[in-house]
Amino acid sequence: MTIYLEAVGRMKKETSLRTHIKEGFTDVFYVWYAENKLIFKDQAVIILFFLLPFGYPLIYSFIYNNEVVRDAALVVVDHDDSYVSREYTRRIDASPDVKVVSVCDDEEQAKRMLDEKKAYGYLILPSTFSADMYKGKQAHASLFSDMSCLLYYKAFRMAGVDASVSLLHDLARGTKSATTDEQQAIYIDPIPYETVATFNPQNGFAGFILPAILIFIIHQSLILGVSMLGGTHREKNTLHTLVPIMRHNRGTFRIVFGKALAYFMIYILVTFWCLVVVPKLFVFPSLFDVQTLILFCIPYLFACIFLAMFISCFIPNRESPMVLLVFTSLIFLFISGISWPKEMIPWYWKAFSYLLPATPGIQGFVRINTTGALLYDVSFEYQLLWIQTAFYFILTFFAYRRQVLLSHKKELGLVSG
Amino acid sequence: MTSSSIYLFCMVGIPLISTLFFLTLMPAGIPLDLPVAVVDQENSVTTRNIARTLDAFEQTSVYMTTPDFDKARKLMQQGKIYGIFCIPKNFSRDVARGNRPKIVCYSSYTFLVAGSFPFADMKTTALMAGLSIKKQKALAQGKTEEQLNASLQPIKIETHALGNPWQNYSIYLNNTLLPGVLQLIIFSMTVYSIGCEIKYGRAKAWLRMGKDNILLCLLGKLLPHTLVYVLVSLVMSVSMFSFASFPLACGWFPLLLAQFLLILAAQGMGVFMFSILPTLRLGLSLSSLFGMLSFSIVGFSFPVKSMNGALQGLTKVFPLRHYFLLYVDQPLNGRPMLDSWVQYVWFLGFILLPFLMMPFLKRELKTFDYIP
Repeated sequence: MTIYLEAVGRMKKETSLRTHIKEGFTDVFYVWYAENKLIFKDQAVIILFFLLPFGYPLIYSFIYNNEVVRDAALVVVDHDDSYVSREYTRRIDASPDVKVVSVCDDEEQAKRMLDEKKAYGYLILPSTFSADMYKGKQAHASLFSDMSCLLYYKAFRMAGVDASVSLLHDLARGTKSATTDEQQAIYIDPIPYETVATFNPQNGFAGFILPAILIFIIHQSLILGVSMLGGTHREKNTLHTLVPIMRHNRGTFRIVFGKALAYFMIYILVTFWCLVVVPKLFVFPSLFDVQTLILFCIPYLFACIFLAMFISCFIPNRESPMVLLVFTSLIFLFISGISWPKEMIPWYWKAFSYLLPATPGIQGFVRINTTGALLYDVSFEYQLLWIQTAFYFILTFFAYRRQVLLSHKKELGLVSG
Repeated sequence: MTSSSIYLFCMVGIPLISTLFFLTLMPAGIPLDLPVAVVDQENSVTTRNIARTLDAFEQTSVYMTTPDFDKARKLMQQGKIYGIFCIPKNFSRDVARGNRPKIVCYSSYTFLVAGSFPFADMKTTALMAGLSIKKQKALAQGKTEEQLNASLQPIKIETHALGNPWQNYSIYLNNTLLPGVLQLIIFSMTVYSIGCEIKYGRAKAWLRMGKDNILLCLLGKLLPHTLVYVLVSLVMSVSMFSFASFPLACGWFPLLLAQFLLILAAQGMGVFMFSILPTLRLGLSLSSLFGMLSFSIVGFSFPVKSMNGALQGLTKVFPLRHYFLLYVDQPLNGRPMLDSWVQYVWFLGFILLPFLMMPFLKRELKTFDYIP
């Protein structure tokens, strides 16, 4: 025990401030250099650090490239077969999102087409459709939609409503006598409205999901890569601890900071690719303010790095991160509020989500990138990221300190290997 | 973490954690009271009434009313609101004069789901504002209620969402996400368990144990896994269809059969992936890539028919895609099993796939060394 205490004492021993600082810098630099060497020698880590963030955005951009759903297939069951019902059908068909693939007067036939996936919805116009309208009664139409894809359901509903509004306007124009066009317009449509899709003007799927995926890839690739490095260290190291005993591995702070610096410098490049180059390549909405983006990315990267380093302390071997951690992508993405709105997430999951840099990272970056928010507008997320950075730094520091002490203990034979 | 606890955590822990997470994430099923701002540049009784109408919608709530558009835009950039409903200055006067003032609805599709619900409500509110003016005129002209409705909304569309009448997101997502998690885990654990034999130098002993018959070795190793996965998927299904009461139009048998086939297919793909990339880390990279891509390429959020032509063909090699098609046919729409025979053939193909690779796998197990 005394030998062990001496070893600890040796670590803490005070030297003059100048040599202390000088040594500190050399050690940090040495750890930084050693970590870089490890990273670039390790093919698997290169895959996770470079190939993953470089390749994934390209694949996702390719999948969602078409952005919107066009020509969702609809069958119209027209029991009326009148001028009005045919005109209504034509107007639905004319909308960009829906295509009327067939008109029939048999519901069973329409259902069969759904079963055969020739169509994803059918609209029934009853035999009284036009008669009701001419009598001045409300006509009814029934829309049945397959629910395998919500985008189809939305397209059918929107097209049905829009066509009925435009038909209403035209029919009113025919039945109402007005002296001028202006007067007619006032009668038909006294308060016109306009809809504007701000920030994602095509209302596109890629413009919505990709910014989130881009910033999230950085998070996941860091966690996987750093964990793999940690697992490898532990496996190769004869003492089976995370930190091998070396002349330069003296201070915990120096080790943690040296490593973090190595990851940070590599990820400047990765971040530039993911957040600046890819949106330009695929022409996604990208309105970011450069200064805001840079200032935002610094705590994001450090929070991710320290979280990754903390997790890596618990990874038993080289390959296990790939089986233990990949599934988290799905949970972390959903908990961030990009898809299911954050207002609707139950409090316990919301509390958990604040532990992850991905949550403020995605919320903040999406707004900086897509809506052109400035640092002030994302101040909550920005502050949270710094808090997370501090929190995970402290956790990492103590986890590493435990590992350093463990190495020394094991070396001295105080603990069985 | 020891070797056996890795297996326990991955094969049982991860699917059950995911089930718990996704079933408790969306208790309401549809988003309610999503915040929007009303930019009211008139602030009269009429315009405040319109704002109240908007607030009364189930899925929209008015977060703030302000005369200043820039303030509302800032709120949008700060992520506090998902839409802006803009009523212009001198609105009431312009309506009375017949100047046709215009209401503008801004919605932020930065968050697609959160943006689209308030959007529909804002549009309806704007439409209703116009209709109420017409209603006043029509009542003054002495029309009956029935005539009134017909002139205001001549076609009423009743929507029927087949199989999921509440348009419940939890039902919509979980029926594909949770089997997807299971598939991801099966891919990776199959690769991992075979790869570890090589890594820890036990491959030859393993082959000897199976009397040098690779098929016997694999069955002995993977059948216990199959049993665990079947039990896990049972817990998943009971949670979804019994506890969370998801609709099940086809009864239990076709559902459980589909899950059983998915499990076997994923194990088959796992063996196949390791056979073509017999290095543990490369095999795992492939299985993770394949497992994660499944979620996007399966086409339940963005339909396959709208994807690029080459990708449409590629979707067929993902077992989850065929599971999704079975789900749509059977639990969602209650179609007869015979209708989905193509999917059963595909599943059979996935299950038979590793048999082609047996000789290669055997050679690899005998000759390959672990590459870090």
